[in-house]
Amino acid sequence: MATTDTHARTAEEAHGGPEAAPTTTRRPRLGQVAQLVALSLGAVVFLFPFYYMVVGALQASPNPGPSGALPDPSNMTLYNFAQINAAISLGRTLLNSSIFTGGVILLTLLLGFLAGYALARLEFRGRGVIFTLLLLTLVLPFQLLMIPMYVLVVRYYGLADSYVGMIIPFAINGTAVFIFRQFFRSIPNDIYEAAEIDGASQLQILLRIAIPMARPAILTAIIVTFIGPWNEFLWPFLITKERSMQPLAVALANFINTLQATIANPFGAILAGATVLSVPAVVLFLAFQRHFVQTNLGSGIKG
Amino acid sequence: MLAKMMRSTALALVLLLVAACGGGGGSSSSGSEGGAAEQTSGPIEIWYSNNAQEIEWAQAQVDAWNDEHPDQQVTAQEIPAGDTSEEVITAAITAGNAPCLIYNTSPAAVPAFQRQGGLVALDEFDGAVDLVRERSGDVVDQYTSSDGKLYQLPWKANPVMIIYNKELFEQAGLDPDDPPLATYDEFHETARQLVENTDVRAAIYPAPTSQFFQSWFDFYPLFAAETGGTQLVEDGQAQFTGDAGIAVAEFWRSLYEDGLAPREEAQGDSFAEGVTAMNTAGPWAVSVYTDIDWGVVPPPTSEGTPPDEIWTFSDVKSVGLYTACENQATAWEFLEFTMSEEADRALLETTGQMPVRTDLTDTFSDFFEENPQYEVFADQTSRIVEVPVVPNSIEVWQTFRDAWTGAVIFGDNEIEPALQGAADEIDPLVGEGG
Amino acid sequence: MSTVATTGGDTAPKRPLRHRLFGSQPIGYAFAGPYVVFWVALFAYPLCLAVYMSFHDYFFAAPGAEVDRPFVGLDNYVAAFTDPAVQRSLLNVGIFLVINVPLTVGLGLVLASALNAALPFRTFFRAAYYVPYVTASVAMVGVWLWLFSGGGLINEVLGPLAPDPTWLVNRSWAMPIIALFATWKQLGFYVLLYLAALQNIPVELYEAARVDGASLVRRFWHVTVPGVRSTTTLVVILATIVGANFFTEPYLLTGGGGPNGASVSPVLIMYQAGIEQGDAGYAAAIGVALAVVVILMSAVNNFVIGERE
Repeated sequence: MATTDTHARTAEEAHGGPEAAPTTTRRPRLGQVAQLVALSLGAVVFLFPFYYMVVGALQASPNPGPSGALPDPSNMTLYNFAQINAAISLGRTLLNSSIFTGGVILLTLLLGFLAGYALARLEFRGRGVIFTLLLLTLVLPFQLLMIPMYVLVVRYYGLADSYVGMIIPFAINGTAVFIFRQFFRSIPNDIYEAAEIDGASQLQILLRIAIPMARPAILTAIIVTFIGPWNEFLWPFLITKERSMQPLAVALANFINTLQATIANPFGAILAGATVLSVPAVVLFLAFQRHFVQTNLGSGIKG
Repeated sequence: MLAKMMRSTALALVLLLVAACGGGGGSSSSGSEGGAAEQTSGPIEIWYSNNAQEIEWAQAQVDAWNDEHPDQQVTAQEIPAGDTSEEVITAAITAGNAPCLIYNTSPAAVPAFQRQGGLVALDEFDGAVDLVRERSGDVVDQYTSSDGKLYQLPWKANPVMIIYNKELFEQAGLDPDDPPLATYDEFHETARQLVENTDVRAAIYPAPTSQFFQSWFDFYPLFAAETGGTQLVEDGQAQFTGDAGIAVAEFWRSLYEDGLAPREEAQGDSFAEGVTAMNTAGPWAVSVYTDIDWGVVPPPTSEGTPPDEIWTFSDVKSVGLYTACENQATAWEFLEFTMSEEADRALLETTGQMPVRTDLTDTFSDFFEENPQYEVFADQTSRIVEVPVVPNSIEVWQTFRDAWTGAVIFGDNEIEPALQGAADEIDPLVGEGG
Repeated sequence: MSTVATTGGDTAPKRPLRHRLFGSQPIGYAFAGPYVVFWVALFAYPLCLAVYMSFHDYFFAAPGAEVDRPFVGLDNYVAAFTDPAVQRSLLNVGIFLVINVPLTVGLGLVLASALNAALPFRTFFRAAYYVPYVTASVAMVGVWLWLFSGGGLINEVLGPLAPDPTWLVNRSWAMPIIALFATWKQLGFYVLLYLAALQNIPVELYEAARVDGASLVRRFWHVTVPGVRSTTTLVVILATIVGANFFTEPYLLTGGGGPNGASVSPVLIMYQAGIEQGDAGYAAAIGVALAVVVILMSAVNNFVIGERE
């Protein structure tokens, strides 16, 4: 497997790697310290633009130079948030974003879980074709499909100006199906076979074994499916021009395009809006990532 | 596994191809809605841009109309004015749910919408074209399409001029009230002094990016000035490969090469932040740059021209009447209503943008007395050039822009062959009949 | 219901007709059914239309408009492949993938491993690496433009080493910077995938390796890497697909594929041709051709890296 050289990587490679579930804490070894340092440096690189965005959102007047990266208490204000709220109503748009994204997640989990499981575990003719169809949804860019899909949704299904119309094209995230398929394939066969020998039907296997075991996959799928519709700025806008129905990402994009000339610190207001847009995603991740801890999966096989 | 996957892929693709060739695409065969509807009256829908001042104007107009026409109510929605609006309009035309009127139709997009069968020719309404000519004068010729009909109503103009920061000019030792910006040589020298004697990053800062419309704000105003009102393409032929076009290109190239205009795009408003001493701007600048002491001059020409003879780009927005409209009679009447002298006056007062009206300064002389900063723009509206309303107009501009970024902004290619190459591609494009 | 496992049955007793026709677990149709219905209802038409468009001189028109859209055979494809802009865009996809995919796989797995361990501030670190992925491109682009501009932070730090037309307006550097931006922004997603996959590696394997005296590096290579193999396949396929379709970066970061077309992408050209210029047939030809290439690449990836069934 190809790997590349970066500072962080060679340091981590020497001293990193997974440990077992937390054992007694010994005095930190040099290796662990170095690993922490490397990770911290990397974290700085990754976090810096986000940090800069937050700093910019809090600035009263924009400071484009390098010194603008440091928070300057005399230049701080929450006014930008008030401004963007006045321009695009954060409360309403956040609600719309939630409805849109929530609908997509729900449908994706429902359809994707079943489809992923079937593609991974069940043998039926046409399985390969379905897999190819799945690939096709990922490979073709939205820009190509956008207008025909719009015509379809608006003219043939009559779903203009509706949340359903917004949700439908995103309602199944091909990546999520992939994730489920991958996950189910990686579970050792023994578990399924044990249940089959016990006489369980496929449906029972699905309900009693697959769903409970699939928690990491479900959580991953939720987190992954969340981002797409949450940050999507074109499709909902095509479907409806009603300001009261637009999600935050759409309203922010429109603001960037046209309204900025009307207020004093547009850069700050945009960053304020972007900050608000990113917070729920981060919170969601923080809430779910707790569950990504080593489970003793192996022990499920015994007995 | 690989073989199996290839087989499935092949099978799926074959199915698709069969469906595609056999199915025949579909959208041209559904003829359920007639193109030329009878001109009926009734409720209509309109879209306008989401610029705050335009919203104010539009709402006032809609309310005034609705009060007097209870059975022909107008409902209105906003769309953003950015390049995404073209996408939205194209999609709406294709789906058949475009509104009756869009007060944000870009003249460059009109040929495309027309080809789609999305626009209604104003010629179909009795007396309409005469009315438009009465309001706007001969400039209407620039807005007629290649089939001789008028598919748009030129509504408001933002003539592009050069705005400069008086304070920075003083700092650089230049006269802020009579700046030396008339000839290319003067302009170049002024730019050099600005960059050397102040801490601006740029003397002038047009966007150096590749979007098709960017040329409207660097090349086109100067080309209009240099040629005294020639469009990019006239009579099916590109006009920019002559001396004028080359002179404009070489002038801009010298600015980029000498570091007087940056090759990277600006973040935020470079003029407002003092990053640049000059920029191109229209009358919208009056209400935006309230914190800066600014002045305005027309674009420079190679030898210098008296200001009252200089032409520039119009940056007009038109109103289109779309075929998806059911009650086209009402649509035309409402359009007419919003082009009246009172409506134009309201437009001027609310937004500061110039209605495309002949004798602008005379008709609204009281407004210009109270707001003298607008006067120079109003005067300029009698000498404006539009983008050519020809088939494939957007592709034409993209082709031009691609040649421009290569030869002028980044200096990778020679100017004359680059422009000639663009012209060679453009001539056949405009020749393709609608 | 028959429960005999079905793989590799050569001289097994004759299976029921139902199974020979539909496979041994036809309930799969019920499970995959809703997805297929959705696919047919929503993707079939745009997909077929895309293929159809690519063979015609096609543009979108109002319903009921009488327009002429003649069949042109392979003209669109020929025009696309002889267009220097398209050729450059394909080269750019290559540059992008060469930088992005190995970095993604390598950094992703290493980071996930590190973040899987019992670290102090683990939650903070996990969030740090994830944050770019969730933040809207628009906001991140602004920051990167500021960082890499002529007078920006990176150049201040580098001093005389900074390239002369600065990064994003430099013909040789624009594409690599775009690839780095995309890698940085998407890494959080792949780290997440690897994190989930790491949960499935039995702890006993690490214990056994440690008992055998294997160093951390050896444990990584011999336990972690093979253990997440199927996820690696998934990561490579997804990164390839996403990479071939990159659009936001040239659209926002280099303002339309500058400098002078050095950072155009196929999807950007499709957007310009299909949506801005109304030449939908040409755009469709590029799209279909690109899709075929990507599917082939995915098949090859699957074969080279993936598990044998």
